[in-house]
Amino acid sequence: MKDSLNVTPTAQDCPSETESPARGDRLASLRYQIEHAAHLLPSQGPITAFVHHNTLHAFQQRPFEEGVRKGGELWSCHAYFPEERYRQELESGRIRLSDLEAVLREAVSDRVEEPLIATVMQFELRLAMLKHRIHAGDPAELNWMIAETNALRQFRADVPVVIRKNLIESTRHWILRDRNEVFAINNKANLISENLGRFSQRSMEHWTDDQWEAFLLNALWNICYTGAKNVERQLRVVPLPDLHLPRHRNLLLQATGEDTDLPVHELLIKFCSAFLDQGFADWHMPNRQRGIYQTFLNLYSQGGTPPVEWYQQLRHECARLIDAKLDPLESIDESLSLLGVTDEEREEFLTHSLLALRGWFGMVWQMETEAEWMPHPAPKESLIELLAIRLMLDRLVITGVARESLHFEGPLHEVRANALKRISRNEPEEAIQKAFVVFQLAQVCGWKPEDLYHFTDNQWLILLREIDTFSSFERRHLFHLAYERRYRNATFDALINHAQRRNQAAEPTAGGMRKTSFQILCCIDDREESFRRHLEEVDPSCETFGLAGFYGVAMYYRGSNEAHYKPLCPNNIKPKHYIDETPLYSLQQVDRRRAETRRRIGMFAHQTHRGSRSLLGGLLTGLVGSLAAFPLVARILFPRTTAQFRKLFDKIVETQFTELRLERSPHDHAEDGHLHGYTLDEMANIVESGMRAIGMSTPDRYSDLVIICGHGSGSVNNPHESAYNCGACSGSRGGPNARAFARMANDNRVRHILTDRGFIIPESTFFVGSFHNTCDDSITYFDLDAIPVSHRPCFEHARDQINEARKRNAHERCRRFESADLDLSFDEALRHVEIRAEDLSQVRPEYNHATNALCFVGRRAWSRDLFVDRRSFLSSYDPKTDDAEGHILERILQAVIPVCAGISLEYYFSTVDTEGYGCGSKLPHNVSSMLGVMSGAASDLRPGLSAQMVEIHEPMRILFVIETTPEVMSRIIEENAAIKQLVGGGWVQLAVFDADLGRILHYRDQHFVEYKPESIELPTVGSSLKWYQGWRKHLDYAAIRPTPLSNADPISCS
Amino acid sequence: MTLEFLFQLFGTTVVVCPAILLLLFGTSTLLGRPLGERALSRLTEGSVLCGLFSAIIVLVLMLLYDYRHVPIELGHWVILDEEHFHFNLKFVFDRLSVPFVILTYVLCGTIGAFASRYLHREPGFNRFFNFYAFFMLGMVISSLAGTIEALFLGWELVGLSSALLVAFFHERVNPVRNGLRVWTVYRIADAAFLVAAIMLHHLTGAGDFDLLMGTGPWPEGTANLSQTHALFVGLLLLIAAAGKSALVPFSEWLPRAMEGPTPSSAVFYGSLSVHLGAYLLLRVSPILEVSPLLSAIVVIVGLLSAIYGAMTARVQADVKSALAFASLTQVGIIVVEIGLGFRYLALIHIIGHACLRTLQLLRAPSLLRDYHEMENAIGSHLPREQSVWRRFMSERARYWLYRYSLERGFLDALLFAYVVRPFTKFFQWCDALERKWTDFLAGGESRESDDLRPHTFSPEDYL
Repeated sequence: MKDSLNVTPTAQDCPSETESPARGDRLASLRYQIEHAAHLLPSQGPITAFVHHNTLHAFQQRPFEEGVRKGGELWSCHAYFPEERYRQELESGRIRLSDLEAVLREAVSDRVEEPLIATVMQFELRLAMLKHRIHAGDPAELNWMIAETNALRQFRADVPVVIRKNLIESTRHWILRDRNEVFAINNKANLISENLGRFSQRSMEHWTDDQWEAFLLNALWNICYTGAKNVERQLRVVPLPDLHLPRHRNLLLQATGEDTDLPVHELLIKFCSAFLDQGFADWHMPNRQRGIYQTFLNLYSQGGTPPVEWYQQLRHECARLIDAKLDPLESIDESLSLLGVTDEEREEFLTHSLLALRGWFGMVWQMETEAEWMPHPAPKESLIELLAIRLMLDRLVITGVARESLHFEGPLHEVRANALKRISRNEPEEAIQKAFVVFQLAQVCGWKPEDLYHFTDNQWLILLREIDTFSSFERRHLFHLAYERRYRNATFDALINHAQRRNQAAEPTAGGMRKTSFQILCCIDDREESFRRHLEEVDPSCETFGLAGFYGVAMYYRGSNEAHYKPLCPNNIKPKHYIDETPLYSLQQVDRRRAETRRRIGMFAHQTHRGSRSLLGGLLTGLVGSLAAFPLVARILFPRTTAQFRKLFDKIVETQFTELRLERSPHDHAEDGHLHGYTLDEMANIVESGMRAIGMSTPDRYSDLVIICGHGSGSVNNPHESAYNCGACSGSRGGPNARAFARMANDNRVRHILTDRGFIIPESTFFVGSFHNTCDDSITYFDLDAIPVSHRPCFEHARDQINEARKRNAHERCRRFESADLDLSFDEALRHVEIRAEDLSQVRPEYNHATNALCFVGRRAWSRDLFVDRRSFLSSYDPKTDDAEGHILERILQAVIPVCAGISLEYYFSTVDTEGYGCGSKLPHNVSSMLGVMSGAASDLRPGLSAQMVEIHEPMRILFVIETTPEVMSRIIEENAAIKQLVGGGWVQLAVFDADLGRILHYRDQHFVEYKPESIELPTVGSSLKWYQGWRKHLDYAAIRPTPLSNADPISCS
Repeated sequence: MTLEFLFQLFGTTVVVCPAILLLLFGTSTLLGRPLGERALSRLTEGSVLCGLFSAIIVLVLMLLYDYRHVPIELGHWVILDEEHFHFNLKFVFDRLSVPFVILTYVLCGTIGAFASRYLHREPGFNRFFNFYAFFMLGMVISSLAGTIEALFLGWELVGLSSALLVAFFHERVNPVRNGLRVWTVYRIADAAFLVAAIMLHHLTGAGDFDLLMGTGPWPEGTANLSQTHALFVGLLLLIAAAGKSALVPFSEWLPRAMEGPTPSSAVFYGSLSVHLGAYLLLRVSPILEVSPLLSAIVVIVGLLSAIYGAMTARVQADVKSALAFASLTQVGIIVVEIGLGFRYLALIHIIGHACLRTLQLLRAPSLLRDYHEMENAIGSHLPREQSVWRRFMSERARYWLYRYSLERGFLDALLFAYVVRPFTKFFQWCDALERKWTDFLAGGESRESDDLRPHTFSPEDYL
């Protein structure tokens, strides 16, 4: 090992002087390759600002099917649920046989009519493989099954009686007719007779059906096995595909069983977490600003290394790199040539080396490129430097393992070739596996043994190839399509039927006669769907709207009790405005004292936190630690009471009365280079575009009270808390946006500007901002003092209705929580969710976006009173107020499609492979570097969603149903690259909805195809409660006919 | 009802409660009819409350009637007169065991309530509560043990359940590897303990602590051992304690143990089982008094562990490892206190530290929120204070110390290089000899298993 290291630098120095331009090119292309590969790393940033995005974002420019295939290949992850899971869904009726047949028919469309061979139809063959559990297994297991189980005595249990009868009958006929030929000595049927000795030929005529059954199965098995065996060699296109494992680690793992990544990763995880630490560790890495490469080399080249071989070698190598003055790229180049990686392999090798520890490498890349707002971002070039260190460590460990376990002393670049030789590659016994599949298929499809007996080798070849082609991956793909189809068609049917009923009903009653009591604008979030539905049930005269929850107010916001500004807008927008929340002007003096108290308490808490981990501080805290028993027991046994107590205490030190500094004043312009506040014109723009988007463009649309409702989620002991917040606010709480919007819309000067533009908000209309905590279903209202006396009764009415609605919302949510009884009353349900939010031991404070499946963009009229089971994003849009090209729609979709697609796809991938794409179980999570979570003591960083978050999710690509015309939609798709990529590539599903005609056009393969309804039924119930009560699983659609206001007694539910 | 009878009744209940719990959980699982989540948590709750109240009643009775030493006999199980050996289950309630058993019940009970919600819907729910019952029984037996054999029994139960809980998520590689590692260290500790127990038997003829430690109630007993014997036995017990409490040089297993669900990490490695080594030293503290040299060694080991823990805790960037090393620091200080003879102080320290650390570990996932709240209160990023030591250190020394702490003192690497490797090399050498011999007998290759590779069949492929 030393020799090889001492020789190469000199050998490389010579050419580098003469061919430096070539070397420069080489390094430049190396850099390009690394940065290219970096895009395959997970793109989740620090967990404190969790933004949902497509896990396979790197493959988004390809079609979905290809993307999941490539992504799965590269990351070793599953693209779909396991086959068994789909089959259970088939049995439970979640997937109908008709769905399966429909998607299969499409997949084999051109060959559906012609037989594959003899009497075997391709369609039937594939359908049988989908419908039936075709057991596959290890050759040893199959041998056992054949020898020890009833496989050769009785038909599979799922063989229909008719097929059984027919098969026995035809076989009896065949054997009795051709007995002599079949049992002849030199016939190819010799094999049959040989194994069938136990069936006495003489009494054949008097055999019972059971005897015939056993005989038939034996014969069938022998025929299948012989058939498969005879063509086994031809079946393999290449006898043994070359082992293609670019990384030495994989080869060595197969050859020796030693994993060279283990020691490398153990060291790198420690190093990365310390290097990236954002302020948790008391002792930060010395001279961290010099970058990963220099810091690492300095650290590990120090003397005083323990007399352990590995650390000694590491020290020598680090010292050598320092002496040779190699920069990180040169070091990578050197490592690659030492490892014997050829130029063609480079990119692949580098990619796999990065992805082997993708969580940490991805975080380094994120901290280097996207995290300038964090306290300690990583210096530029960090990823390249980390890769240089990684390859250096790889080299050391590979040398060691090659020597110890492979007993190979030669140069490093020959290790791969040597390891390859040691990998024993016995050809697996495949014939038995293939034969067993045919054996089972023959039973369930009723293929006669006689026909199979007469198959030529060529026919066998076609059959077996066909079975191979329809691999597990293909089957799961089809299952998935059927799974989606079922939900899609149910949705289309429900929408069409619901719209038709509404159209019919609307004529006679001429709705809208009753005055609207109040209007509420919520986020499009799927969790607000049930809240809005219940509100409409409680008060049928109210009206609800949906708009992306930052309400057009893109800002950096800092609350009065907060230290930092955070962006409150989708993460593809960079806000320009900075908004502060301040104590009321008259209270600022008083508040300064409060702030000081808070600061002291904070400092004390921080000191205690740190101190308890140190030597003497720990001694002190340890001696009085018994006091901790009180909060310990109280918080776990009485979470809600403890939380109320704590809030009481917080009230003393927190600022109570605040206002937003919304308006730009000439004084605070550019004192810190930021733009503080909005001008009146900007405010008018925000209000106008927001109101226009939801279709409130004329004065008669307004009621007296409009409530704007932001949302977020508060839970304890939850590192992923940010993921539960508003997706349109970059994982923060959207309350301030609602508050700001309401303030802007109330401002008379803003209204004057709007009136001048011809956009009139009636003077009698008042806006109130509020915040909905989706975890404990609490609602906070802002700036209530500003409500005019005239509007107070109206507000009080609205507040009472909202209070009732949030209880019912909590109640509906509780049906999903197994730990909440099904017969809770509304009040008990509210208490239950309040406890959940404060319970340290609760890993499912809420289910977040789980079960999301749909996004409806259009007038609420078409989705109102339709039970969508909290599965739909609802964005309000009125095509009647839009121009002919649909520019308002375009603006809405520019935000809605990417945000909803990101949420849907992140849920999709984290569900189908929770360990690979998601972050596994939440139970052993360990917050590291304040950036992310590891599983247990030391692991790769785990991006994605946890098993507890997705356990009730149905992984489907989100279905957009948009109320517009195909022409408008086509234009929007064509003119917006981001939308085109998602829609065109099939990463989301899309359909346009024509409400007046009750017609839906489904977008597929760049065309709109009219959907033919499968059902004219839509169950009708009196209230949501009547539909969901007593059931925990997913529910179908139902129309809700709320009881008229006059006899609107509160529904008792116990 | 005599006082005697009351002591016997409630004392027995304290021990029997967790035993019944384990029996119920164990048999239902063995019979293939595991209990449901609700039944498991209700039974746990009942058992803990029952045990806790009995322990408190015993405490109250002892205080009222001024008893300082209450033995409870649960029968002689083995008597070998010729060998002068008898094994009896004897439990002792005294000033050391009562606080410790109450602490055990309080923490186990809280964790039980926590875990029943935290592990809701987890497939290993039943398994977790089986291990939990093992653990609680082990802790109660160890705390109350009146003989060294009983202590060993409890000690083993705790060790077994701890190792299994580290490997709780057995579908991933790391937990299993680390569980095995913890188990290995425990085995070394157990071996030392066993040898010490046998030695004590030989020296005093019985395993009862009363006989070993003299007649006075804890902590006033005096051991009737010679200084050399005390030193030798004491050293063995120190090794046992060091293994169990992760003292230097075994320390590196402690952060590795943070693989299980958060509540198990909290109660096991944060609070209870990590103090068990210190508890053992407290229990046999009269031996320490006999030999000043032994006391000195105990102090040194404790001091080294405390300094080591404090240093490594400072560089850890993940919350669970940082808390693990912080625990180690305090356990080190506790051991120092024991070595110096401050027994009550050590007991108070154990109890306080266990409560505090449990709370901290349970709240470990709140770290981000806590720091965020602190930042908000302070109004800026959290201050990073430079250590006082920094001024006295050269850059080289800082680098060295930082790497030393980051690499956790190289303890595992050193143990591996100088203990484990020679050990395995020796057996590999034996294996090579055997292979030669069998090859010779077989007249060729004698091991077919060499060619076999584990072959996994998976019906689901990524492609």
